[in-house]
Amino acid sequence: MKYPLELNVNGELFELEIPANRTLLDVLRNELGLKGTKEGCGAGECGACTVLLDDEPVNSCLVLALQADGRRITTIEGLSGAGKLHPLQEAFIHHGAIQCGFCTPGMILSTKVLLDRHPNPTEREIREGLVGNLCRCTGYQKIVEAVSSLVKRKDC
Amino acid sequence: MVKYSVVGHSVPQIDANEKARGVAEFVSDLQFPGMLYGKILRSPHPHARILHIDPSKARRLKGVKAVVTADDTPKIPFGPRTEDWNIFAVEKVRFIGDEVAGVAAVDEDAAEEALDLIRVEYEELPSVFDPIKAMQPGAVLIHDKERNIVSEFKLNKGDVDRAFQECDVVHSERYYTNQVYQAYLEPMACVAHFEPTGKLTLYLATQIPSMTRITYAKALGLPLEKIRVVVPYYGGAFGAKMETNLHLAAAVLSQKTGKPIRMVNSREEDFIAGNPRVPMYIDLTVGARKDGTLVGKEVKIIGGSGARAIYSMAIVATACYRVDSLYRFQHLRTEGLTVYTNTVPTSCFRGFGNAQMTFALESSLDMIAGDLNMDPAELRIRNGLKTGEVSIHGWQIGSSGLEECVRKAVEASGWEEKRREKRFARGVGLACCNHVSGNRAFSREFDGGAGIVRIGREGKVLVYHGESDMGQGQRTVFAQIVAEELGVTLDRIEVAPVDTDISPFGLGSFATRGTVFGGNGVKAAAQDAKRQILEVAAEVFETIPSELEARGGKIYVKDEPERNLSFEKVAEICLLRRGGSPVVGTGFWAPDTVLPDPVTKYGNVAPAYPFACQIAEVEVDTETGHVNVIHYTAAHDVGRAINPQTTEGQIHGGVTQGIGWALMEDMVVEKGKVLNPDFRDYVIPGPLDIPPIKSILVEPVDPNGPFGAKGIGEPALNPSPAAVANAIYHAIGVRFTELPITPEKILKALKKK
Repeated sequence: MKYPLELNVNGELFELEIPANRTLLDVLRNELGLKGTKEGCGAGECGACTVLLDDEPVNSCLVLALQADGRRITTIEGLSGAGKLHPLQEAFIHHGAIQCGFCTPGMILSTKVLLDRHPNPTEREIREGLVGNLCRCTGYQKIVEAVSSLVKRKDC
Repeated sequence: MVKYSVVGHSVPQIDANEKARGVAEFVSDLQFPGMLYGKILRSPHPHARILHIDPSKARRLKGVKAVVTADDTPKIPFGPRTEDWNIFAVEKVRFIGDEVAGVAAVDEDAAEEALDLIRVEYEELPSVFDPIKAMQPGAVLIHDKERNIVSEFKLNKGDVDRAFQECDVVHSERYYTNQVYQAYLEPMACVAHFEPTGKLTLYLATQIPSMTRITYAKALGLPLEKIRVVVPYYGGAFGAKMETNLHLAAAVLSQKTGKPIRMVNSREEDFIAGNPRVPMYIDLTVGARKDGTLVGKEVKIIGGSGARAIYSMAIVATACYRVDSLYRFQHLRTEGLTVYTNTVPTSCFRGFGNAQMTFALESSLDMIAGDLNMDPAELRIRNGLKTGEVSIHGWQIGSSGLEECVRKAVEASGWEEKRREKRFARGVGLACCNHVSGNRAFSREFDGGAGIVRIGREGKVLVYHGESDMGQGQRTVFAQIVAEELGVTLDRIEVAPVDTDISPFGLGSFATRGTVFGGNGVKAAAQDAKRQILEVAAEVFETIPSELEARGGKIYVKDEPERNLSFEKVAEICLLRRGGSPVVGTGFWAPDTVLPDPVTKYGNVAPAYPFACQIAEVEVDTETGHVNVIHYTAAHDVGRAINPQTTEGQIHGGVTQGIGWALMEDMVVEKGKVLNPDFRDYVIPGPLDIPPIKSILVEPVDPNGPFGAKGIGEPALNPSPAAVANAIYHAIGVRFTELPITPEKILKALKKK
């Protein structure tokens, strides 16, 4: 049995019919071809599939696609508009925060929420903000440096 | 130091932009028309005889296109070292997770449903899970190997017994290094496509594209050149992504269906049927004189290979003798046994046995320094091999920055003050390591690296190599080397994915060899391309090539710099004058490393040897047993950092994995079953578990490395567990000899104290 589903992904509207058990991750990757969202564990533990659901970071492997009906989704592909990189993407690139790159899309989206909510996090707060995203390559250091570079006032 | 325009500069990875935008296509992202999804039926038993397999019900399920078992394969036993593999189990299963059958279906749900419909009748057999028990007389045999011993490594030099008698301190200890999982973020993945022409194309996440091809040709009974291996982007490996039955199962399913098959391990499968680290029991005795001179070392290692040997015997051998070329031991007695058990096959993980042994040796040296009332840093400096020395095994140390690493780490960490002014439950610990850049003992057939550099009409440079970038930044380093040689900027360079139809044969990315071997290979290719460019340019300028130089994107007449042509102009002239042929430079680098003597193990196995010293500072919560690593200093002899930023990235990642191993990570196996095959129960370090790591690059400039560079991959991790354990000892006075050092163990030990 399939159910109608309307998704607003990166500002584009999609009308789909899908079975109830499909995850948002599955629909993004396999129906919409948005492969930037990665599957690292399928159990909400690694954060590689992080997307923004109405600006809220979620593990898209734990969200049923139908739960996202009518809601606004941002994936990594939606971050860089008109060929221009988001400042976070620039920062990750220039600070060497990307190695294999598999965690990168989720990491960048989590970082975006962190900075949207707390524009001046301390180093500790940056690390706290990224606890939901695992990275096995970088030891997080250059990721933290990349995020710090965007912090407006360092004295906070 | 010579100044270079591209080499030695921190630049972002050349593919970072694609990765940041989420458009880099990883293996698990690949999609082909008509593609099917494969899944593997795995054994639920650690050891059992297969009586009967009935796939008929599964075959009838809607959406299922093929169900295959060993009967659909050539049943040729194979393996990279020992022929104890089958693509699917033949007669017996030997571990929980062993491959029994494969399914291809139109989607993953159907494939998984079909797995439940395959009926397998087993007769359970006795099993054995611990390598020491597996060696006992009467233990069940897993393969037909006496006492389940896969291989035995023996090495004696000098007279250890006499040496120990003459020592002032002799320290013996049993260590246990546990089984840990590489935990790369993208699980193992592949796409296999048997084309109607009979050619098999494999898109693999693998560190060793050319070598997997050889192994797989044998397993599938195919001529080598009917197989093409392509390596797209893939999400980390750390040693694990070499040969795996996942790739072969996909190949068999594609052969059966004629369709491309994508197979991706679930995270659980990756835990239970991946390639975790070889667990080892290490009995180590070290003897030293009063003045700190290390004299003798005796070690007996028992390593658990799990149900297939893979590379475990080479890993145990490495654990047995690599550290002998770190310090000046003169008397050695070494025995290493690699033993089958009914558990997941174990294999390579960053450090390749040297990481296990470094934990043991560097812990023992900490104790010896304590016994001798000597600064542990001083003990290392006194005994560490220096540039120009030849080790007891004939390793020619072309460059050693070990002493500089120790001195710089000591200075940067505030070591002396922190050792002197001890604070409650705080401590600092130091550990060193050596490693190889390349390992002739492992590659055996030949040693070398090769490259192809193709320059297009408008001066675009495309570089081909046969190694493998798993995320460490290898492509970027190769691009920097080629740009430097050709005198052009980095943005002109593109590095092609490895494709065995085009790329040179490469041994691959292991043994911290990529930078040295692949780097020298592409450097030689770039030199060949440059020679051709200069020849044509010399015709234009009516001079000889030696009168020309390439720099800043131009070709100049040396003494008349106003006479010059742009690189792209020369590239075009080359093509137009040579019947349309692009400039194609090929080159190779074959160092004079040798296979170690079978008995004495004497022989220079690598062209270069990296060294390191790391210092950890910890704070132990004596109420909870929690260890907080508060500062970390890692000084690494990298020869020369081609790209300091990516080199530091390797150090940060290696240290983090080492801290994870030291304090948190453990595959809990009960009766052959991994009890924590997920990231909830197998916890890897998160951003709050790791302090900022102070990395120090020591650059003695190696005579053999490209531009003097050595590798960094494995040494980044090797010393970390010992540095942490030594720091814990300094903090609370308790010595831990088994990894990981969990809060439970700490509380128990504190109570006992």
